[in-house]
Amino acid sequence: MKRRDFLKTTSALMGGTILYGLGSNSAAAQGEPVSGGTLIWGHSETTQNLDMHQTGTASTGRVLENVHDSIVTVDENLTVIPHLAESFEISEDGLTYTFTLRDDVMFHNGAKMTSADVKYSFERCMNPDTGAVNFEVFNNVASIETPDDLTVIITLDQVNAPFLSRLAENGAGVIMPVDSGDVQGNTPIGCGPFKFVRREFGNEVELEGFADYWGGAPYLDKVIAREITEPTVRLTGLRTGELHMINDIPADRIGEIEDDPDLQVVAWFPLNWDFVNFNHEFEPFKDPKVREAFDYMIDKQVLLEGALWGQGEVTASPSYPTSASYNHDLEQRPQDIEKAKALLQEAGYGPGELSVTFKATTNYPYHIESAQIMLEWFRLAGVEANIEQLTWSDWLSQVWVDKDFEISMMNFFTLWEPDFLYYSLWNTEGAFNYRKISNPTVDELTAKARVTVDPEERAGIYKEVQKVIHDETLDVILWFRNGTIGAQPSVGGLDTIVHPNGSNLNFHKVWLSS
Amino acid sequence: MSYILNRILSMLLTLFLISAITFAVTNILPGDVAMMIMGTQSNPEALEGLRRSLGLNDPLLVQYWRWISGMLTGDWGTSLVFKEPIGPLILQKMTASAMIVVFSMTIALTCAVPLGVWAAMHPNKWQDTTASSAALLGVSLPDFFWGIMLILLFARWLGWLPSSGFVDPREDFLLAARHALLPSLALGLGLMAHLTRMTRATMTGILNQEFIRVARAKGLGERTVVWNYGLANAVGPVMTVAGLQVGYLFGSIIVIESLFNYTGMGWLTYQALLNRDIPLIQASVFVIAGVVMLANLIVDLLYVLVDPRIRLS
Amino acid sequence: MKLPAAFRSSKGLIGAVLVLMILLVAIIAPLVIPPDMATQMDMRARLSPPTLAHPLGTDQLGRDLMYRVLLGAHTSIYIATAAVLMSIVIGLPLGLISGYVGKTTDNILMRLVDTLLAFPALLLALTISAVLGPNLQNTIIAIGIAFTPFLARIIRGEALRVAQMPYVEAARTAGNSDTRLIVRHILPNIMPAVIVQSTISLAFAILAEAGLSFLGLGTQPPDASWGLMIQASRDYLDRAPWTALVPGAAVALTVLGLNMFGDALRDALDPRARKGAT
Repeated sequence: MKRRDFLKTTSALMGGTILYGLGSNSAAAQGEPVSGGTLIWGHSETTQNLDMHQTGTASTGRVLENVHDSIVTVDENLTVIPHLAESFEISEDGLTYTFTLRDDVMFHNGAKMTSADVKYSFERCMNPDTGAVNFEVFNNVASIETPDDLTVIITLDQVNAPFLSRLAENGAGVIMPVDSGDVQGNTPIGCGPFKFVRREFGNEVELEGFADYWGGAPYLDKVIAREITEPTVRLTGLRTGELHMINDIPADRIGEIEDDPDLQVVAWFPLNWDFVNFNHEFEPFKDPKVREAFDYMIDKQVLLEGALWGQGEVTASPSYPTSASYNHDLEQRPQDIEKAKALLQEAGYGPGELSVTFKATTNYPYHIESAQIMLEWFRLAGVEANIEQLTWSDWLSQVWVDKDFEISMMNFFTLWEPDFLYYSLWNTEGAFNYRKISNPTVDELTAKARVTVDPEERAGIYKEVQKVIHDETLDVILWFRNGTIGAQPSVGGLDTIVHPNGSNLNFHKVWLSS
Repeated sequence: MSYILNRILSMLLTLFLISAITFAVTNILPGDVAMMIMGTQSNPEALEGLRRSLGLNDPLLVQYWRWISGMLTGDWGTSLVFKEPIGPLILQKMTASAMIVVFSMTIALTCAVPLGVWAAMHPNKWQDTTASSAALLGVSLPDFFWGIMLILLFARWLGWLPSSGFVDPREDFLLAARHALLPSLALGLGLMAHLTRMTRATMTGILNQEFIRVARAKGLGERTVVWNYGLANAVGPVMTVAGLQVGYLFGSIIVIESLFNYTGMGWLTYQALLNRDIPLIQASVFVIAGVVMLANLIVDLLYVLVDPRIRLS
Repeated sequence: MKLPAAFRSSKGLIGAVLVLMILLVAIIAPLVIPPDMATQMDMRARLSPPTLAHPLGTDQLGRDLMYRVLLGAHTSIYIATAAVLMSIVIGLPLGLISGYVGKTTDNILMRLVDTLLAFPALLLALTISAVLGPNLQNTIIAIGIAFTPFLARIIRGEALRVAQMPYVEAARTAGNSDTRLIVRHILPNIMPAVIVQSTISLAFAILAEAGLSFLGLGTQPPDASWGLMIQASRDYLDRAPWTALVPGAAVALTVLGLNMFGDALRDALDPRARKGAT
């Protein structure tokens, strides 16, 4: 219980920061960094297609974070800062972006990075035939010019406020060496702190420290990412010392690891966020009263406790907790079964007259648990409900593509860039609008924010969007989930490992004491 | 000789049928591999681009022809989701699985045959009851349940063996064997129980036959009668059953390898199925069916060698 | 029929009692226990060891394992029975025709059956379930289809044997039609083998359902099925082993009962098959 209370007091104000860990247990690791050693990491997921442009899965991005660097990046406050570009300039009219590249960036193949590589990478991402996940980032790009080896000028044909921020992650902002596209899929080459050595598919990925890294050679000689998807198995590996560290400690076991003097735990907030989805073209859900009724059926705190053993923090807003656009005025609806029944009655559904199927994916076992818990509440409110458990690929094709569902649940890793978040998910035209939501106010606001350059004004618009999402119960926003790492005391520098986006892990400054 | 030729010809026909069934079934699988790669970040235009670059838009017959001719010429294509060449991938995973399949078969046979014979030598005595009951219990528990019990006992409580993972035997044979032991045991226990029952039943039948009675009447020791005369005749049937169990084993490894995170063929096939990685599913299923068929063929041929009286039609 | 003989051995009797008990549970439990007893959650009693309030303990959502295992009997038995019935309905005519008609028909049918037999049953069931999408009906279909080739093969062998019997020859010369021959003379004589094989298949079907559900391609939550319960227990094994032991024991008892009864049945009905494989 003490953990929960702690979380409550820190609340949503503590976004992007280490929650706990690095306490007494990790005292041994607080010495001076040393070089050398091979770190064995028990990775929670299997990596897939290793082409940074094509892959959209968090698991693969988490590993590739160490192989690649993006042209710009963000600091812990999510402000865009220089990275491979040592400086950047945006013209008054917001249409021209000028990047000045660092002079000391080497690729793993021995080549020096120049503006040609940047042009190649961006154009590869833009090309529809590449099948790049983030190609729409470049939708407004009119031209990419390279007046000299270290200068890149990008001209847009209309203002695109989120453009620079979107380049701050590897998905769109990654720089690959010229003509390396064909090999990226299974032997990625970049200019990050670690070289990709090999992947034994399903077993492990081997990364080797890159001595010529522009940010200084990493401490570790090697990182071996063992892919161990079974949570208890990962934990056992950590306990027996087979693994130096693991990510994603099983939620119900965190307390136990914290109490273990031989292990250290790092937890941060948030890793990702979850929400319950309604299909807005399913007849009953066209009525906002019905959606609101379902919101009233769900006790978010109990659900969080039940599905994630309390490892997270409930929220009414999906905005990154520390970001300017987070709307603190919103409050989740409390559970009120009677009110839910009344709302359903008003909408014309008496007890037992509404029946829904909840499609949840086994890819996130806690979604299955959540669905089972919610089902009980739905039934209490007189709704007939059953679950369809879908494999990840079935969920993607049925819910995401075919939009063939009634009620579902999904998580997203923190889309800290608000346009990426709100336009993609809630605009009628949004790429991630799989719920067929079409709300004129949201459409108007998200379009307006795109061309609003003033940060404060932009944040204000997004706060309004959140209010509409909440008032109209377009979805039910549930919580931000904690990320966790468990490690041996010998692992140092864990405070630097989590990328500000909460999802990626970077081993550049991590070290092993002997 | 013509029998062998016949068998091989019919095997080729079956292989063709297997390939056709595999291709047909995998192509009606729902789901979309481009979706899997992009996940929740995908949008329609990006998806279409990826599909084009993966060659998913070609007509089915073209895809079948590409697949089958590739399989024959040794070009097994590339896994769509994982971007790995399939041929080496399957070879690697098959080696891993072969290790636990051979281990478990060895464990099962070395325990089951003596146990079964022992039980058959003492029909309806305590020896028989004990062995038969143990075997009955053995075949009645799902193998993944055995697996869970083994993990609890040897990995969690005693801490003697690693609970999961695969290590390449070429890197470190001893460590590889330690990792393979628990999954092999989980597979082998059920198999052992099954083979014990088989051996017992076969031996009981043989020990009641005329020639055994004659041998006994001649005053040969019971030991000689059972082991030299009886067992020699039981080898054929027991071997046949063991061969048939290769199919069962390749079904079981799907569950067991997932449970132990032992990344062999079963694990690969399950991953391929979950990810709708069609080329990978096709190749894995085809290879597994091929191996099962080959095992049966070998057993059949050996049977002819062991017992020349038998000529199957 | 020499059915009662099966009960004469102690093995047969124990097996029969076990099977009967579990059948009774499967039929009666859903009638007397309200279905929500298996899904009712108690967040204050998660992963509780066996106590007075929860005689068999609770699972990760605080659901009572006793109610779940009792109600799960219905799901598991229903799926297994329906799947085996399905494999009989398809396999019986296939095997009969193949064995009785022979020649080209037999060749073609058996080639097909052999091909299907090359696919491990679980792999076949898994693929079918992936194609159809996992739910109760499709689990039945997947297991049913996966088991059909075995049954068809056994029935074909039996039909072949019986068709060559002198009395069938006699009946044929007496001018009986093929249909009549099959229905009146062959079918009754292969029934013992079918019954024995069905009992054994039933045991395998229970295991197969558990395996499929364990891989997430079988029964769907929140329905209680034994395989699903074992799957859910996986993450809590070392802190709450009872969550695996309770459904595991249920599967073991059922399959054990079926196997014992099946053995005794075979001994009584079909002495010839004693040496044969299962």
